[in-house]
Amino acid sequence: MLNFLDIYERALKGPIMTEKDFDMKLFMPILNKVVKAYGIQYDRENPIPSDDRAADNLFNAALEFMSQVGVYCQDTNRVIQFTRAEVLEAIKEAPGRCLAGEGKDAGVFGMRKPDDRKVPWLHVGSGIVATTEEMATNLIESYGCIAEANSISISALDSIRGIPVMAGSPAELYAAIRGVKIGREALRRAGRPGLPIMNLISTAAAAVTTIAASAPQFGLRPTDGWLVGAISEMKIDFGAMNKVAYLLNWGANIGAESSPILGGYCGGPAGTAVVSTAYVLMGLLVHRGSYQLTFPVHFKYGCSTPRDVLWAVSASCQAASRNIPMPVIWLGYIAGGPNTKIFFYESAAYLLCTVTSGAPSAQTPHPAKAVKIDGITPMEAKFGVEMAKAASKFDRQKANELVIRLLEKYESQIEIAPTGSKYQECYDIITGKPSQEYLWLYNEVKEELTRMGIIFE
Amino acid sequence: MGQKEILGNLASAIVEGDNDKAIKNAKEVLSSKIDPLKAVEEGLSKGMAIVGERFEKGDAFLPELLMAADTFNAAMVLLKPEIEAQKKQVTKAGTVLIGTVKGDVHNIGKNIVATVLETHGFEVIDIGVDNPSLNFIQEAEKVKAQVIALSSLMTTTMPGQKEVIETLKEMHLREKYFVIVGGGPVTQEWADKIGADGYGRSAVQAVEIVKKLLGERI
Repeated sequence: MLNFLDIYERALKGPIMTEKDFDMKLFMPILNKVVKAYGIQYDRENPIPSDDRAADNLFNAALEFMSQVGVYCQDTNRVIQFTRAEVLEAIKEAPGRCLAGEGKDAGVFGMRKPDDRKVPWLHVGSGIVATTEEMATNLIESYGCIAEANSISISALDSIRGIPVMAGSPAELYAAIRGVKIGREALRRAGRPGLPIMNLISTAAAAVTTIAASAPQFGLRPTDGWLVGAISEMKIDFGAMNKVAYLLNWGANIGAESSPILGGYCGGPAGTAVVSTAYVLMGLLVHRGSYQLTFPVHFKYGCSTPRDVLWAVSASCQAASRNIPMPVIWLGYIAGGPNTKIFFYESAAYLLCTVTSGAPSAQTPHPAKAVKIDGITPMEAKFGVEMAKAASKFDRQKANELVIRLLEKYESQIEIAPTGSKYQECYDIITGKPSQEYLWLYNEVKEELTRMGIIFE
Repeated sequence: MGQKEILGNLASAIVEGDNDKAIKNAKEVLSSKIDPLKAVEEGLSKGMAIVGERFEKGDAFLPELLMAADTFNAAMVLLKPEIEAQKKQVTKAGTVLIGTVKGDVHNIGKNIVATVLETHGFEVIDIGVDNPSLNFIQEAEKVKAQVIALSSLMTTTMPGQKEVIETLKEMHLREKYFVIVGGGPVTQEWADKIGADGYGRSAVQAVEIVKKLLGERI
């Protein structure tokens, strides 16, 4: 199998071209060709398709796309190319599981298939910015207190001693270290010090910051998980490659991160489904990922819940889960914010879509498109777990019916969805308990979903 | 071929993203002695407007926009020298300098905004990604931009937008430029806080804001 130095050599020796030529002369025309050749078609009426042959066909389209396009390295202006045989070999040799956590909280993050009744790996929390260390600690502790949580994401900090964090700056380094320490301490308070943190390092954008803050004396372990991002679409740079090199040498879990954009270079839903599947191949081959985290979004709405994105997510989730042994966390960006009904409708739709499509893992859906500062609470984390478990009781066909009904509730409101409440507006900062109003809203929405046929344990 | 047919072909070449068709009909414009400026305004730009409308409705996406822009440029290679020889110029709605701020390498949203602005007749100078503040200002001075558009896709790079505005003030150039901001984590609240002149949640909104700001200046 290719090792990472082989990949790096290809970044030095692959065909040279400008980034614009990669986009205009390689990526877009080949994607267009592959979509037509394989007959990949968006089905507006069925956001969750139930067709295993179509899923396998989509995988084959992505395989062809990957072997013809490759990955662009921005630092060398060259394309890292792979033959079809190399891609298939990587798939054959992929372990299909990720060992995460320590002690009694250690677990195996493995694969699922479409219509699988097994509860997915429950990844709780988010890297949404918290403006105070106290809030970050409360949030992370609450995630750890969810008994079913298999792994967590920790908050990012946006300032240190009042100094704003800027990417690649000393402030980012200080804040990254502080964030990691808060994460570990909060999990100790929850009684789960071995629970793996798998969105490292949320505060760090720059490679140097990630690597520096990962030093073991700050609390991180190789059984945690580090996210290394692709640059949209199908690109990488030395920063990401340096992170991979460091983590491989340490033997730490690497989470290949991707976010294909429907409406960008991927074009419409069919192209987005192909690229979304191809990213899982990129995660295996280039990022050397033990797992993947992906969040396709719509270019205009900035979220994952419009009908066409749901279709692209479902289709690519099915293609990947049936054909590529890579544990993937399918993450939903939700238009509605905390303490809004629309958040719960959208999240329910997204989790029904991914869980029944074979998603190995479900993560807490991110409210307000993950950009509202202090814009997440333990309530969304709790709902994410309850809904993922409920969704695992359905097959794709039934889930499709439910999603269509949920779309009726929120689809027309996506563009104007309220950003909801900040943590401190609907939770007590000292006690970490929700407001009565939020509890009422939560129970009301759950009853509504139960009447639709969604059974919560 | 008559004038109407040639102009129609230019418009459809843009919609289809057909460079060969655009070049062929641009040559017809020249050989038939049709006013090249008319060919741009009633042929090429008409096609760009159709693609722009489709994009706004969600029937076309960035690939169609980029192909249209590429086809437009292919035809302009032939038409622009003739326009200049006639001592005319294509009227531009304004000049916008756009880029992603320092530390940020995201570009798709920026590219969409840049292309949509072009379909609406703006001259757009795209300085790419990871730009220090001074880069925006120096380039804006060079190209005589009226609007500086700052893109940021991470909360940790948003301070770069504030820094550009602060640097403009320090250099006593703030009043010379309109500054608009956008990108995933950016909000109206943030734009107001840093003293930006506008915030666009989408590419279409960005165009509306630029039109409004430049209209105010006129």
